[in-house]
Amino acid sequence: MTKFVLNGQPVKADNSPDEMLLLVIRDTMNLKGTKYGCGAAMCGACTVHVNGGAVFSCQMRLSDVEGAEVTTIEGLSEDGTHPLQKVWIEEQVPQCGYCQSGQIMRAAALLSETPNPSREDIAAYMSPNLCRCGTYNRIFKAIERAAEGT
Amino acid sequence: MTRTLKSPQFSRRGVLKGAAGLTFVLGAGGISAVHAATDATVPLNVNHWLSIGSDGVISVVFPSTEMGQSSYSTLPQILADELDAAWEDVVIQQLNEDDRRFGNKIFGGVLYTAGSTGVQFYFEPMRRAGAQARDVLLQIAARHLGVHKSRLQTEPSMVVAPDGTRISYGELVALGIGGVTVPDAETVPLKDRSEFRYIGKDVPRRDVFDKSTGRARFAIDVDLPNLAYGAVLRAPVEDERPLKINDAEVRAVEGVIDVVPLPDGVAVIAESLWTALGARDLLEVEWSKTSPARKFNSAETLVAYQAAAEDKDAEATVWTEKGDALEAISKADKTYSQLYISDYAYHGQIEPMAAVANVDADGQGAEVWAGTQTQSWTTHTVAETLGIPAENVRLNMMTMGGGFGRRTALIQNYVRDALLSSKAVGRPVKVIWTREDDVKNGTFRPLAAQKIEAGLTADGRLDGWYHRVATPTVIGYFNPRRWDAVRPKDVISMRGAESKFYGIKDFRADHIITERQARLAPYRGIGATYTSFAAEAFMDELAEQAGRDPLDFRLDLVEDNPRGRHLLEKVAEMSGWRQRGERALGLSFAGYSSSQAAGVAEVEVDEAGEIRVVHFWAAVDAGLIVSPDNSHNQIEGGIIFGISSSLSERIEIENGEVMQNNYYDYLITRANQVPPIEIYMADVDAPPTGVGEVGTPMVSAAISNAFYALKGRRLRHLPFTPDRVMAALGS
Repeated sequence: MTKFVLNGQPVKADNSPDEMLLLVIRDTMNLKGTKYGCGAAMCGACTVHVNGGAVFSCQMRLSDVEGAEVTTIEGLSEDGTHPLQKVWIEEQVPQCGYCQSGQIMRAAALLSETPNPSREDIAAYMSPNLCRCGTYNRIFKAIERAAEGT
Repeated sequence: MTRTLKSPQFSRRGVLKGAAGLTFVLGAGGISAVHAATDATVPLNVNHWLSIGSDGVISVVFPSTEMGQSSYSTLPQILADELDAAWEDVVIQQLNEDDRRFGNKIFGGVLYTAGSTGVQFYFEPMRRAGAQARDVLLQIAARHLGVHKSRLQTEPSMVVAPDGTRISYGELVALGIGGVTVPDAETVPLKDRSEFRYIGKDVPRRDVFDKSTGRARFAIDVDLPNLAYGAVLRAPVEDERPLKINDAEVRAVEGVIDVVPLPDGVAVIAESLWTALGARDLLEVEWSKTSPARKFNSAETLVAYQAAAEDKDAEATVWTEKGDALEAISKADKTYSQLYISDYAYHGQIEPMAAVANVDADGQGAEVWAGTQTQSWTTHTVAETLGIPAENVRLNMMTMGGGFGRRTALIQNYVRDALLSSKAVGRPVKVIWTREDDVKNGTFRPLAAQKIEAGLTADGRLDGWYHRVATPTVIGYFNPRRWDAVRPKDVISMRGAESKFYGIKDFRADHIITERQARLAPYRGIGATYTSFAAEAFMDELAEQAGRDPLDFRLDLVEDNPRGRHLLEKVAEMSGWRQRGERALGLSFAGYSSSQAAGVAEVEVDEAGEIRVVHFWAAVDAGLIVSPDNSHNQIEGGIIFGISSSLSERIEIENGEVMQNNYYDYLITRANQVPPIEIYMADVDAPPTGVGEVGTPMVSAAISNAFYALKGRRLRHLPFTPDRVMAALGS
């Protein structure tokens, strides 16, 4: 039995301690906002926060989060009102939308580490996360606006 | 033709009785209706596209499927505009069956979301459907108020009388339609462009909130009671079959439910995906070894296609012809020719293939959840796989985590996986392909070799153009049924080779239909991604041969295309082309279907041969733009897709096996590789021609031409990987 805190709530999972955290989140905890894209730390669709830092949940075992705080897109805000989500909607960032939970979670980690990032900081920090639709420039603009607090 | 709404119309799913003796059919045939069949709700159905409830809720059918192109919002907006509906009253109904009344005539009436045709085709019928319903509402109001219809106006979801009386659409529906006639859709008056409320305006898209909060549900997210999970070990090579399966170890794993042989693989069904994936690794399968595909080697394919392109006697079918190109070239003052090649490319949509199926206990029906680009061929896949009639197929068309052509085939093996698995275990099953499964079993943009030959006059003008494209038929593979209807013209393989935006007097493009040596599919931009690369890279070489500026050389050829000329001049102005000095700029002018685009790339190259696009400017004419903000998104995305496929995307095949695995060896452009992109969209009063792919075809040549400006070397093999760049620099 692995115990951890998921989106502010203590949870227990009796999955194999070796199970991929991503699948525990999606199929055991039934939080589908975090996506599977590659299973190889190459696309970032599975990005969540563990103790506040952005991680690839496809690269973590369940046992790795014993006692940790895990936050998914569902825990970023209850109603889509996190400052990043607000600008994401205002800027109409998503196209297919599949990568966007991961993009937003990585962006949130960036702003908690670097509240006023340059365009270069943003591009570098966001580069682990692929977007095949090509929404990158809107992502940059949204992050800059969120950083400005507008 | 005008018909009177007196007797009930019958739909496949029956008739509902409303209040006050009025009887109406419910919704468009088979679409899950939002209105309950109660006396309190009397939906008005003027045509199959929409219904309006007495509560004012307007249900509009979305006939396409959504993969990020935003038709889900854009198409209903078109209807809502002519209906003069308040956008917030509109409920969008995904079409979940193969109902050909909604078919796309560009594709012979099939329900098929591809080729940037959504707005292009549905613009007219959906406007007319909205206008028809608005006219009916006006008639009801006229009857009720005793005022002639011509004196009434509409405001969003409201009819307004000269005395200021306002009646909502919902109230009008409740008044009933006795005596009302439905005007002919073909002749019903449409709005003037100046009256549009939503068309050409930035209406926020409907799905953005859910896609910004993790709430959007893709096929891979579908959950059902008693759901089982499947992972499939696929044959290593196309057309091989499992001969012997040793699943003893697999079945011993706790949580494994069954092992199911498939035509092209073996599925492991388990209580969790984790278990299914782990157990799959324990499978021992002996595969057949007789497939001709075992001889497929992309390096050899490239040589063979190149030889075909060079062979003037190779059998070819004419794709486009005007005047006499061969004669003009033979008599030209000067001739020039070049060969261009392009590798296989993979879609790389971030949601890998996934489908959920729940086959009925008697095997005679099934419910399916899948993200595909076609209700028609998904229905066909289910019916064929189970041997059941199409009417027993219950589809749920899910929003897709990217499409780009990946989800278009006549038979969709990811859907078949889930169906056969569910049938075998008697439970709903979700099959998920891993990224490796998706790459190894991908369907690719074909490899192509192209030879272009042209004549020049002594004063440096183009005089004859002959473009030969050696590549297989894509349609013949991914949809043999369609191929029977269109052969030998394969628009997927050949689009762009017609170079139709230029007025070239003596022109010919041929398709040398080569032997297929990989699985193929449409890919964003289809043939134009390589034909326009060749044509526009060659155009720059010709300009140099003619001693002309690449812009001036092209401007000669758009004298009869003022819209195209405007784009070339505009992009030159945006990029500072005339004052470029030492800046490494490359120009390209292409497009997709009837949408035109001129682009300029500015590039740098590092010591390792890695090209970096540092700026991109584009001027686009796609006719009337329905959703400007979304169009900007689409064009920018199309340009980035083009940059990605130009610089790094490459699939190789050895002995029938795909060599690449995942995003670590199939490289897609990342955030830190994306340039600033400036886009101008022409404001023209012309029919909409599509924005989903117009950004892509111009990009490769803009980059290779910019590289030439920088280094004085030509890049003629897509993609421009560092090894090829270094080779070009060393030559």
